[in-house]
Amino acid sequence: MQTLEIIWTFFKVGIISFGGGWSTVGIIKNAVVPHWINETDFRALIAIAQSTPGPIALNAATMIGWSHGGFLSAFAGTLAVVAFPVAAIIATTLLARRVKLNSLAINESLRTGSTAMMIMTLWALMPSVADPLIIAFGLGSFAIAAFTKINALWAILGSGIIDAVAGPAIRKLLGI
Amino acid sequence: MKATMQKSDREKGKKSDASPTPARLFWMLAKINTVTLGGGYVIVPVMAASLEKKGWMDEKEFYDIFARAQAFPGPLALSTALLTSLRLCGFKGAVAAFCGVILPPFLAIILVSGLLSTYGSLPAVVRFLEGAGAVVPGLVAAMIWKTAAKRAWTPVRIIETIVLSALLILLPAFSLPLLLTAIAGLYCIEGLCKR
Repeated sequence: MQTLEIIWTFFKVGIISFGGGWSTVGIIKNAVVPHWINETDFRALIAIAQSTPGPIALNAATMIGWSHGGFLSAFAGTLAVVAFPVAAIIATTLLARRVKLNSLAINESLRTGSTAMMIMTLWALMPSVADPLIIAFGLGSFAIAAFTKINALWAILGSGIIDAVAGPAIRKLLGI
Repeated sequence: MKATMQKSDREKGKKSDASPTPARLFWMLAKINTVTLGGGYVIVPVMAASLEKKGWMDEKEFYDIFARAQAFPGPLALSTALLTSLRLCGFKGAVAAFCGVILPPFLAIILVSGLLSTYGSLPAVVRFLEGAGAVVPGLVAAMIWKTAAKRAWTPVRIIETIVLSALLILLPAFSLPLLLTAIAGLYCIEGLCKR
């Protein structure tokens, strides 16, 4: 039964996964936290998704499926999240000559939609603890991703390694 | 007419010995999706270069398809690969592309999940994941920053974005109907504004 719930949850995520990975993260969070996974683990999941091959929504479906029903749920969740997009592409290809939509208006309305989705994602993922190290990682990665051409992967791995190796020492130094 | 022209262009262009087949599309996409990390916007240029190098599709045609792919829901890497393979090899090509895009990430996550269920509770691993997770809001903020900088803003679009963001934040339980209605509504408003 868990598997059916996973399928339904990720099928719904698939319908509105517009505009690339980051805009979908907030939607995924609303769908899975706290029912399937807690807040901290969800952040870790997104970091893992971003540093492994493949789209975030797909990775999230596989990983949450895996932890709730094993291989079967992982497999079913992965297919469920792409079911609607694939159906949409096939349907459009078949109907391409009959339906004529204004593609510029479509793209602009999707841009507005996905920007709003990203703002909602940012709101949903704001750090809830006032740990200066966590906030520093967030600000540092913003600077790297927004103003340099360095792959965001290095920010993810770097922050992870700094926290794993020197986290306790730095926090002690800051007196927390 | 346009399609046949593009096809003959492709035949005239530097033709490599290997023409696109579903199996070749599968391997090309599987390789790209295994080694390219960082989401759709990183993968798409790699796909463009690879298709051009093989002589299967020139960049202009590819980026026209990419522009269309953005109008579909779902991961960009997937929709772009599906539309491209439909053009090159029909439905068999699309099935091959689907497997090529889906399989590598699926296997990678199964592997990582397996490792995490064994080592996930070690303190160093917990801290690594905590540190890595802390980066996520920063990356989202950077993506908003970059998207906003490139957007052709109008007063109407600014208001639409603010209102829709506020609604999504205030009514998280209704994000699906909210977004579907919003996209339809925004499409109508864009159409009206042009007139």
